[in-house]
Amino acid sequence: MLILLQNIFRFVVLVAIQVLALNNIQFLGYINPYIYILFIFSLPARLPRWLTLILAFILGLSIDIFSNTAGLHAFATVLIAFMREGTIKVFTSIEEGNNPEPSFYTFGVGSYIKYIVALVFVHHFTLFMLEAFSFEHLGMTLLKVLLNSAITILIILGIQSFKRK
Amino acid sequence: MRTLFNFLIRYSVVFLFLILEIISFTLIVNNQGYQRSIFLSTSNSFVAEMYEVSNTVIEFFKLKAANENLSEENTAFKNQIIKLQNELSTLTKNQKKDSIHFRIPPEMEYQFISAKVINNSTNKLQNYITLNKGLVDGIKVDMGVISDEGVVGIIKTVSNRFSVVIPILNPKIQINSKFNHNNYTGTLIWSGDDYRYANLTDIARHVEFSLGDSLVTSGFTNTFPEGIPVGTIEDFNIKESDQYYSIKIRLAVNFRTLSYVKVIDYLNYKEQRTLEKVSEN
Repeated sequence: MLILLQNIFRFVVLVAIQVLALNNIQFLGYINPYIYILFIFSLPARLPRWLTLILAFILGLSIDIFSNTAGLHAFATVLIAFMREGTIKVFTSIEEGNNPEPSFYTFGVGSYIKYIVALVFVHHFTLFMLEAFSFEHLGMTLLKVLLNSAITILIILGIQSFKRK
Repeated sequence: MRTLFNFLIRYSVVFLFLILEIISFTLIVNNQGYQRSIFLSTSNSFVAEMYEVSNTVIEFFKLKAANENLSEENTAFKNQIIKLQNELSTLTKNQKKDSIHFRIPPEMEYQFISAKVINNSTNKLQNYITLNKGLVDGIKVDMGVISDEGVVGIIKTVSNRFSVVIPILNPKIQINSKFNHNNYTGTLIWSGDDYRYANLTDIARHVEFSLGDSLVTSGFTNTFPEGIPVGTIEDFNIKESDQYYSIKIRLAVNFRTLSYVKVIDYLNYKEQRTLEKVSEN
């Protein structure tokens, strides 16, 4: 029950921060970090996959509605939600029967960083490629992917490092 | 049959994944076109209202600049009123009051509806602006939007109290514009990277112009009246083999600080459109 409330709260706060603050960052004209995916990262590790997918779809669509990009964020977010379980399996070793909420403490610092870096990169890559919808400005799109991934990863790790055990 | 059933259950998550991705992708593809459902955009009233609340906070910090702008505009208007009053007083003497056929005089064809920007982006590939006026204020799809500085964009979707503008900073629209001094027209398209610049195409090799020349709307489309500033020439080049110049335009409007705009209501729009349609058929 507590976990449910916690996640609803996290959903609302992350979407609000994303659309009201982060989407207005206009540094260099490229920088626009997307930290709302922290919601997907922080879902309990053994949450049924179908539920993760549906939550990801709702999350992505909410961001889409606020930023006039129907389907764009939904697509990228559903993709990382699908890849999440595999990524957790590859990078971490949680015991059978445990269902921790991913963080530095439960995953270990190294594993958690790998987990975040891999998924953020996939998400940003999909997002910016789809946004460009062509290979015409490939160089600039890749630059955007790298810069924004780096900033998103830093912010997410920053938030997580403040978290109590 | 049983194996098929087992197969479906086993891969149900994969199917769910594929279905969700297909839905998203369909939305993206449909979104490429010009028209889109109001439901999934910021003219949706819930979303727009949220933006309005957040905007009241941000607005506070822009008050000073806005004030200066307004007072400047005010003086300009006052000057204009005095000028018009003078003209009027000379004209009223010899005017007869027998006109039965009501006609909108050419100088009153355009009316302005002022609106406030409540959401705005400049760093995406396809940017949009949300305004706090909608159907009830008389705003309709395809109306032009300008600010005190120059052309902003065109109204795309309208709900009862809000509307969404496609600004020049979106490759979905192209603004037909011309040089102020020699009337050669070209098409203005945003390049997609810098919010200060756009590209002008269709200017042929023989046209003469120089850096700093100003560009205004052509008046050929019925969204903008003639002569509204679009920008100035920043840079240009032409290859040996090309027929047309590629020209870089510095836009007149600063889209980052945009806070108040005017929507243009062209009163003869309907009549002109119907006439044009009739002759096209």
